[in-house]
Amino acid sequence: MTAALAGTSIMTTTMPWFNIFNNPAPHGKGASDRVRIGMIGVGSRGRALYLNLVELKDEMNIEIAAVCDNYVPHYDRAIELTNGEAEAFLDYREMIDKVDLDAVVIATPLHEHAQQTMDCLRAGIHVYCEKSMARNLDDVKAMYDTHQETGNILLIGHQRLFNPVYLEAMDRIQRGDIGPITMLRGWWHRNTDWVFYTDTGGRGTALDRQRNWRFYDEYSAGMISELGSHHFQVANWVLGNQPLSVMGSGSINHFDDGREVWDNFSLVFKYPEKIHFSYDCITSNKHNGVQVQVLGNDGTIELESNMQFEEFPTEPPSIQGLIDNIEQNENATIPIGGATWIPNAPMRLGGSYVSPDYELNDTLLYLEGFINFVRNGEAPEKLTREGYQASTWTLLAEEATKTGREVTLPEKYRI
Amino acid sequence: MSSKLYHNRFYAMGTRFHALLPGMEEIRAEQIFYRIKMEVERIEGKISRFLPDSDLSKINRLAAREAVRLDGEMTDILSACQTCWNLTDGAFDMTLRPLMEYWKEDQKNKAEVPDSKKLMENVGFDHLVFNESNRTITFDNDLVELDLGGFGKGYALEKVKDLLSETSVEQAFISFGESSILAVGNHPAGDKWRIGMNNYAEPGNSVHEFRVNNGSVSTSSNFYLDDTGKLQNHRHVIDPKTGKPHEPFTSVSVSVESPVLAEMMSTAFLVSSDDKIKEVMNHYDNMEVIRVNYESGSAKITQF
Repeated sequence: MTAALAGTSIMTTTMPWFNIFNNPAPHGKGASDRVRIGMIGVGSRGRALYLNLVELKDEMNIEIAAVCDNYVPHYDRAIELTNGEAEAFLDYREMIDKVDLDAVVIATPLHEHAQQTMDCLRAGIHVYCEKSMARNLDDVKAMYDTHQETGNILLIGHQRLFNPVYLEAMDRIQRGDIGPITMLRGWWHRNTDWVFYTDTGGRGTALDRQRNWRFYDEYSAGMISELGSHHFQVANWVLGNQPLSVMGSGSINHFDDGREVWDNFSLVFKYPEKIHFSYDCITSNKHNGVQVQVLGNDGTIELESNMQFEEFPTEPPSIQGLIDNIEQNENATIPIGGATWIPNAPMRLGGSYVSPDYELNDTLLYLEGFINFVRNGEAPEKLTREGYQASTWTLLAEEATKTGREVTLPEKYRI
Repeated sequence: MSSKLYHNRFYAMGTRFHALLPGMEEIRAEQIFYRIKMEVERIEGKISRFLPDSDLSKINRLAAREAVRLDGEMTDILSACQTCWNLTDGAFDMTLRPLMEYWKEDQKNKAEVPDSKKLMENVGFDHLVFNESNRTITFDNDLVELDLGGFGKGYALEKVKDLLSETSVEQAFISFGESSILAVGNHPAGDKWRIGMNNYAEPGNSVHEFRVNNGSVSTSSNFYLDDTGKLQNHRHVIDPKTGKPHEPFTSVSVSVESPVLAEMMSTAFLVSSDDKIKEVMNHYDNMEVIRVNYESGSAKITQF
């Protein structure tokens, strides 16, 4: 899987965590070298993560030793999914008490992440936790502090950190290929009621609160935490900094079905160097799809579509010759006609592809990296910090949309 | 004459499109440029065989099973293609793509592909039932497929020409992939536009110069090039008489007032006899034709 990426020099200079693919942790094939993993939460995302881990099973010598979900249908499904080979639990505390685990993968509702993560870290277990980190800033900070105190790995599932397109784009941006960055724009537009489970008895029931937790303020910041956080991480990463402040507004103007989270919102993040990142989400119109654009004075990179556009593309010599002639008021013969020009690289809409590796599965790459880090007993701190800063600014963005104020990071949450 | 020059580009129909609009306020030039772009994209959306929602794709999907209704524009397009097919004794034929696919190396040995003889018998413009008055088209077998590759860029330039005329643009130079050129008015420095034909044996030199005022130049070739002059593809032109690709490296350039006529004729003349070319030329005023053969490694030019 990583053969396509290992050895690429850019990865190691600007994305140090990619060293792990050049120097994977050595391991034998025996049971004593096996990394034992537990899964907390085997819902839709948890199941996807599980299937990714299965792909890595033999090559990486790992074992899904235990699975846990407190929702009985998912608990039953997890047993079926693992052919009964993994020990199954309804309570994660029982799981970490009873089973000897090296690492856990957490894919539970947002508000559950903090306690589960901290319990695992304190039990000496490395953690890969889905984004974003927690429902409030104190929990985010407590998770980070526990990671620091215990020295155990805490990685947050911002899989774009392991996406070949993003990695190549980041290198180009840092090399100055699109000139100085002057603005970032991003959006995630979908046309969906976002109802994951329909048989819950409707908004407000206990079951709905449990299953469709993304709709409830107590458990989720809605699209700000579930979608936006991915792109807030990207913006921080691109600019090599966290924002100075965030402003925003949100409302429920279409799916007013009793949900408590915005069905549309709009944010402006201010960054150092007078750069703005403008971001919006809507769930009642999908025309624009999903995108993060990095605007530079010489070009634009569209990260979600793997495209780069030049502001001032070089004209072909014959066209340039004719332009020069006209500008110098001279009429000379230019060999401008002939066989049809066709591009010698894949091209779309006048741009060029950033990376040919866009089909690689970044979640799988991230998990592969995580397992290697677990073997080494440590992971690059920058990865954890990326998750931390994305999570804090997710919550600050939510606050901005709720208060209408320009929100900054309180000093006590600065790391 | 102001030396101010607006130039911009976009990509369409698998190639690049350059517009040079001299002597105009930038804001007006930009408006016109985006109108041109919209028009070209509209045409591509209608006649591209690559876009599943185009009118052409719909015809290709359905016409072997039922009579497909055409709108006025598509009727005009097919009518023009039919006229040109008649006039060139079948040298212009936009139904030959299945043969072209057949002759691609990777297709030739596939068992499921009908052999070239079967294809020859079943493709060709005479397998279309085109009813101009009822505005319908039917294919008489399911091997037929329409491909407006040797027509589309010229047709787009014809429409651009109308647009420039409607907006009273007096001077413009439009290049669609370099193989289809529209030159409106005179060169800003005075006199006709001096359009050189690139010599692929000596890149950067011209094999011939067309002097054009309110006219066009179209080149058809059995090779495609990228910017470095590197050959990207060979033999994409089928000789309808033999059903095989026209092999020798050849390009034919036609200069005449109408861009779509230039486009169709350059396509046809690539696989036409000298006599036929001369005969067709008699039908039109001020048509200039050159053929360049690169087979020996240098440019061998025939001027008609």
